[in-house]
Amino acid sequence: MNRRDLMQCAVILFAGLKDSPYALGALSNEQRKVISARAPYIEKTAVNFFNYIQRQAITIASERIIPRTDTPGAIDAGVPRFIELMVSNWLMDGERKTFMLGLQDLLDQSDGDFSALSEARQLDLLEAFESEAADSNWYQFANTLRVWDEDAPFICQLKELTVLGFLLSEKGAREFLQINPMGIFDGSYPLQSDYSSYEKHTLVRLLSRETS
Amino acid sequence: MNSTDFDAIVVGSGISGGWAAKELTERGLRVLVLERGGNIKHGEDYLGEHANSWQFEHYGLPNRKIEHRDYEIQYKSYAFSEATRHFWNNDRLNPYERNNLKPFNWRRTDVVGGRSLLWGRQVYRWSDLDFAANKVDGSGVPWPVSYSDISHWYSHVESFIGVSGQAEGWSHLPDSEFLPPMDYYKIEKTVKNRMRKKIPEIPITMGRVAVLTVPHKGRQACHYCGPCHRGCSGGSYFSSQSSTLPAAKATGRLTLLPNQLVERLEHDESGKRIVGVNVIDSLTRRRRRFTGRVVFLCASTLASTQIMLNSSSKRHPDGLGNESQTLGRFLMDHLAISHLGTFVDDVEYYYKGERPNGLYIPRFRNLKNKDDTDFLRGYGYQTHVLRPDWEFRFNEKGFGASFKDKLRRPLPIWVWALRAFIECLPRHENRVYLHPRKKDRFGIPLLVTEFEWSDNERKAALDTGVQAKKILRAAGAITMDINQGEKLDEGGDAIHEMGTARMGADPKTSVVNEFNRVHSIDNLYVTDGSFMSSSSCVNPSLTYMAFTARACEHAVTRLKEESLI
Repeated sequence: MNRRDLMQCAVILFAGLKDSPYALGALSNEQRKVISARAPYIEKTAVNFFNYIQRQAITIASERIIPRTDTPGAIDAGVPRFIELMVSNWLMDGERKTFMLGLQDLLDQSDGDFSALSEARQLDLLEAFESEAADSNWYQFANTLRVWDEDAPFICQLKELTVLGFLLSEKGAREFLQINPMGIFDGSYPLQSDYSSYEKHTLVRLLSRETS
Repeated sequence: MNSTDFDAIVVGSGISGGWAAKELTERGLRVLVLERGGNIKHGEDYLGEHANSWQFEHYGLPNRKIEHRDYEIQYKSYAFSEATRHFWNNDRLNPYERNNLKPFNWRRTDVVGGRSLLWGRQVYRWSDLDFAANKVDGSGVPWPVSYSDISHWYSHVESFIGVSGQAEGWSHLPDSEFLPPMDYYKIEKTVKNRMRKKIPEIPITMGRVAVLTVPHKGRQACHYCGPCHRGCSGGSYFSSQSSTLPAAKATGRLTLLPNQLVERLEHDESGKRIVGVNVIDSLTRRRRRFTGRVVFLCASTLASTQIMLNSSSKRHPDGLGNESQTLGRFLMDHLAISHLGTFVDDVEYYYKGERPNGLYIPRFRNLKNKDDTDFLRGYGYQTHVLRPDWEFRFNEKGFGASFKDKLRRPLPIWVWALRAFIECLPRHENRVYLHPRKKDRFGIPLLVTEFEWSDNERKAALDTGVQAKKILRAAGAITMDINQGEKLDEGGDAIHEMGTARMGADPKTSVVNEFNRVHSIDNLYVTDGSFMSSSSCVNPSLTYMAFTARACEHAVTRLKEESLI
């Protein structure tokens, strides 16, 4: 995808694609109940796809990608569980195979237990995986506005699932990004230095499927 | 006159059907609305409304397997997502036959309320520039209606649905009955000021949109949550679910039956009156027949035409009211094409709330005399502002706190997109017809679509790029992305499909008369997009609503004259 394509995708973004769940003034009590009763996806869906050692590796690796700082990290936001769910029932067969082979490779290069390595060694290993994948199309500028890069190597799959699992999670949306307050529209609101992007409910990547 | 089950039968509950239901019941008729789709309830069944990303399966990422299996045509729409999937037609269960050499994408819903739930909500009046266009340049057939015939019907509709916008006094894009306009983004103010100084001949205004900026007729003002098409339980945008169907229901004279697929219409021996509407219950497959004194087809352009084609008989061998051989012909859509500019102005500003609207640049080409263009008619630009964020740059190298930090802030640019909607000429070759052999699960012949853009649309598409460059330069863009039209949208992608049962004064060349009544059938009206004889360049739904209301008055007046009600 070239730069024009990137911009083309942005076009079909109508000026209203995000959503804010907390200013519920406009809703009936009944509806409030329905919404508040809906449990987060990662909590209500059972999964037992990875074995223990795989799950440990993914958990630690996701935290190395997005660590806890003064804001929550991947583990705080439930990213490992999201990844396990997505690998088990969202990735297509070929993509899942790529992921599982890559994970096995990571474990092999960790003498069987990635989580037992030192943090520095873990980072070295992840960076080595990234270097090896450097030619991948996944890193191309503007290759972000597609539903999924079917050819993404394992390390890229892992990073993208971590990013999505973090920024679309409740903690990531509320405590790292922020909720867009609804009720009014103010198109000239000053952007303070500590102001983060709004969380989003409609991903631009979904709109990339329209032709122009 | 024999007794009938109902005074009027309306096929479809979307934008047009909802209006027919409201107008006919309020004028005293007992009305049956037949809806093919399922019975969703206003508010209650807006499952995606205000739902958060983390509450959706896969956090709202699309289910690719289901999309490809069941929504192959629908899923590419911007309004299709896991939050709206339950509104859309299942293409596997309810297919049509797309000629892939001349592709036309039929986007449709399958619920009560139809596409009024998902529509873009932009509303613009036609003017005599549009109504006279066919006559002036010889495309299609002349409209038998002028602006003065329809202007008060526009007012009638607008004062009910609620239209926010700015009065401008432009003769070729008449003002509506406006509620206060929406507010601007800072970058839009900057852009508008620069345009006013450098290209004053190209005006720009706040989008005219059927979204309430103040409370209106019991519906709430917009609270700027963003994705209208998930449904709005406060009724802040107009839909038949929020507005016309409740009004019809309030009369006590409405019967609405969901899951009723109209198979064909039956006429009397003379062939001039519809006496029965044959339906199939899509859940039980039970066949039934309803009778009414007048029938309104509002099933959407292609669906209404399919019903007329499938109602052929000895008297109407080529489909109902098809003496002119134009039924199914002259299919149109708008050709949409987008150009973008990036700006580094006003990056110290952000926004609060999500405005479901953009600025609008009305048609400025070929207005009075033909400009120095190589195409007929024109186009308008719907524009949108976007502030890029992490989603545009997460695929970078790195790990840890520095990688994380790059995901947090909005990028220091604004993107301003100009999306042109180009008027499409009516062409005989663009058509739908019944497949001679293939049938759906109910035994109804599949509709076949064939559609191609003409050179006129292609030339206009190139011109939108030339003019967009001029506009973006004047507006102060630091970079521009002009779409050269190497790959155009396919027909149907703008979801403005029109034509196939066109209006005209001459029964020899058109299907319906100036009041949307089928020339050769006294009690059959067609008031969805199928009656359109040309397409203008503006969003069509407002015009369908105005003509529907007008046709309802005509039908009721005639019934009274004949003492049938």
